[in-house]
Amino acid sequence: MNTEPVSNIKAGALVWDLPTRIFHWLLVLSFTAAWLSHDDNRYLDVHVYMGYLFLGLLVFRLAWGLVGSHYSRFHSFAYDWSSVWSYLGALASGRASRYLGHNPAGSWAIFLLIVLGFVVSLLGIVVFGAEEGHGPLANMFSFAVSAIAREAHEISAWLMLAVVCAHILGVIVESLVHRENLIWAMVTGYKQQDGTAPSLVSRHGTVGVLLFMSALGFMAFSFRGYLTETAGQQYRPFTGPALPENAVWREVCGECHLAYYPTLLPARSWQKMMQDQADHFGEDLGMDNALVTNILTFLTANSAESHLTETAWKVDISTPAEEIPLRVTETPYWQKKHKKIPERYWKHEQVTAKGNCEGCHLDAKEGTFEDAAMRLPE
Amino acid sequence: MKYMLSITGFFLSLFVTSQLSATLVDDLLQEYQKAGASGFDAARGEALWKKSFPDPKGAGKERSCTTCHTDNLRNAGKHATTGKAIEPLAPSVNNKRLTDRKEIEKWFLRNCKWTLGRECSAQEKGDILLYLRSQ
Repeated sequence: MNTEPVSNIKAGALVWDLPTRIFHWLLVLSFTAAWLSHDDNRYLDVHVYMGYLFLGLLVFRLAWGLVGSHYSRFHSFAYDWSSVWSYLGALASGRASRYLGHNPAGSWAIFLLIVLGFVVSLLGIVVFGAEEGHGPLANMFSFAVSAIAREAHEISAWLMLAVVCAHILGVIVESLVHRENLIWAMVTGYKQQDGTAPSLVSRHGTVGVLLFMSALGFMAFSFRGYLTETAGQQYRPFTGPALPENAVWREVCGECHLAYYPTLLPARSWQKMMQDQADHFGEDLGMDNALVTNILTFLTANSAESHLTETAWKVDISTPAEEIPLRVTETPYWQKKHKKIPERYWKHEQVTAKGNCEGCHLDAKEGTFEDAAMRLPE
Repeated sequence: MKYMLSITGFFLSLFVTSQLSATLVDDLLQEYQKAGASGFDAARGEALWKKSFPDPKGAGKERSCTTCHTDNLRNAGKHATTGKAIEPLAPSVNNKRLTDRKEIEKWFLRNCKWTLGRECSAQEKGDILLYLRSQ
């Protein structure tokens, strides 16, 4: 719009104010951290808090796009599609004009990144609320809706990564074409300009420092639990819901092993197990009928089919209807989730048996099996 | 004074529990006698406690009470399959032991069947109870 191609490059001019630069690099950091932590449930808290930071930064950028300094305002780089085409055409023939702010192609990448960023973040909050039961949309959507939202979350993140790559490629190409280090310009804020032109940009140092301190404060607050945890009291970023309790079940089943929470197996498994209590993996439990009925009622009311937790839902949908697993470790969901655990962890003195969930899951007793409450032994 | 009272109370409760367990074990011994046993012997109980029986699952492997409860009843044991800790059995270090009739009968049934492959006789149970009480 009002950004004219510049010639006669001589001196440096401030183009990117401090808040824009801090926004840019914190966005890079949060996107990278969220990407790297997405595949490991143990680091769900990193993924989530980096996602929140990412969303917060985007909200700031929206405001800064309206009230920020000249080159940061959306108004200054709202090019139409035909300018993008002519810019790309000129670039292909090696005669691309130089822009002090965003060039037309770059501006489209910026708008796309902002839109995709909001889509990714909001879908993430939907999934976090439905699957984990946390965040602003906790328990607002069903597991089935969440499965779709999760797919969309992943697809939009990949799309965003593609635009990021295009953006980086564009920066490199333009840096080469105009013999100017644009990456460094996003660090210092300065680009070369005709020395006589008046500066359009002020530094906005206070806003920049405030933005940086808020981000830093948010991260310190989000991860403060790691600073105060001890070996005996490990930090749990998210606490699951309080699940139904039964004193008899907990005492009787907890005599020889962890009282496995009923959500870990389908109701048909519990029925078979209690029916065969006189030969419970080689032991005669010697329960009378009243005790069997009491415990079985609790087990079936809160079995996998109850969908009380993410684990319950996943055990339920992944176990074939004709199968009656009698061990938690026989369920397809358990096997899938533990496939990649190296052998040495199973042999660790803190674990020793595959049925000893407590060896790694800090909330095995409560039965919530929160993603981030999982710690492989040292 | 309050301090003295609580100390006295503590020892009194220890005494009461130990007396309870003493009478409970005696009651059980009497019942076992009525069921046909006679002349209980702690040494025979100890021998049975430490005797090995073939493991029905693994060829060459053996099971005994000490598999889970270890050689020293004053130590904590460990469940053979699940690895869960078992509190010491000796009443001298764990005063909750031998104080609940239902618990005693439950574990006799469950653990004799696992270890010996059958229920224990009244004679065997009486011998073992005497041995455990002496620890």
